[in-house]
Amino acid sequence: MQKMINRIIRQIQRYKGWFGGAAAICLFLGLYMGLLASPPDYYQGELVRIMYVHVPLAHTSTLAYSVLFGGSIWYLWKRDPLVDNMCQASASICALFTTLALITGSIWAKPTWNTWWTWDPRLVSFTVLLLILGGYIMLRRLVDDPIRGGRYAAILAIVGGIDLPIIKFSVEWWRTLHQPMSFSTRGVSISEDILIPLTLMSIGCWLLFAYMVMVRTQILYLTDLLHAKKGRLLSQTHFSQTAP
Amino acid sequence: MTGLYTRWAMILGATLLLASLTYQHYQQHLSTLSVGTLLGSPSATQPVRIQGMVKSGTLKGDVEHGQATFEFVDGSAGLFVEYQGPSLENIRELKTLVLIGRWDSQAQIFRAQDTALIHNFGFVAAAYLISVIALGWMVFAMSQRVMVLFKEIKESKLYEPEADSLGHKE
Repeated sequence: MQKMINRIIRQIQRYKGWFGGAAAICLFLGLYMGLLASPPDYYQGELVRIMYVHVPLAHTSTLAYSVLFGGSIWYLWKRDPLVDNMCQASASICALFTTLALITGSIWAKPTWNTWWTWDPRLVSFTVLLLILGGYIMLRRLVDDPIRGGRYAAILAIVGGIDLPIIKFSVEWWRTLHQPMSFSTRGVSISEDILIPLTLMSIGCWLLFAYMVMVRTQILYLTDLLHAKKGRLLSQTHFSQTAP
Repeated sequence: MTGLYTRWAMILGATLLLASLTYQHYQQHLSTLSVGTLLGSPSATQPVRIQGMVKSGTLKGDVEHGQATFEFVDGSAGLFVEYQGPSLENIRELKTLVLIGRWDSQAQIFRAQDTALIHNFGFVAAAYLISVIALGWMVFAMSQRVMVLFKEIKESKLYEPEADSLGHKE
């Protein structure tokens, strides 16, 4: 199983350029449709266009956290360093997507709700997600031993996973300003004009996230490799200089 | 490195093209004139968009059937409007809105034929710019970092065959 996971990750790494290219195509099409081709909304007017970036960013940040959550469980079970690198990569990229989702949501809220921020359950649970990610990144940096740091961070990510269902169902559990779920067993409650750019942007963001995780994992792997090899060279040089 | 910069130049070019198309779309379909600017201009053959507020106590006519007259004010400037168009709930006193129509400078009347919501396009532009710049910069920085790391590894000759304990290279 572990070999298979590693093989899958390496295969994905090999074809990461395709992910990047596909993400670029989807995002450009989505941006074109979102900014130019789609009509304004009857109630929101032009402001609906913010939804074409805000919603995909928010979806991708929950997807990124799901990857981090699953990867952390796998890491604690198998102690696979490649998966640990992937989790570390997912966390920083998830933090970026979450921050952008909060900022774009706030920009949309000002002209619509007449406030930049409100104590809405979904906003609060999303901000908690950002705080968990901040804690994860700090924990990895502050603990000197990277293996111990990775273990502690994985535990934090698993505990923080409780926030995911809260984000998802907050619109049903509490009274909230956010609209209820648009995709359910009752069908899709979004018109086609909005659905097409939204889907394109969402797919583009997911592909971009996959591409970014691959590149970031590669950076972490190369940095480790460089440090390890440099360390070995240094120890060899030190040995040859101190040897009688 | 050249390949990386070529790819990013293409992405930047496509982004700038999209930005210029959006700006053109904004200028043609969304941008509005102030009432003061319109008052100083000659009669227009093309429809223009003006933003202002329906002055209290001036709305007359049958709005439900799409015919009304009112004063439209923007700060201290104001003009007389003859509206003839679709029946809309938007036209009511003290309502801030966008009117689409032609300016008759000789009669000093704005002949409106439609209305639109205030677009708030500045918020849309801000949301897109922040997202695109942040994500683009992050991906570019990461791609560049990979290149730098590969270069560093290559220049440090860390890929040289390692010598065994007797000094023989593999």
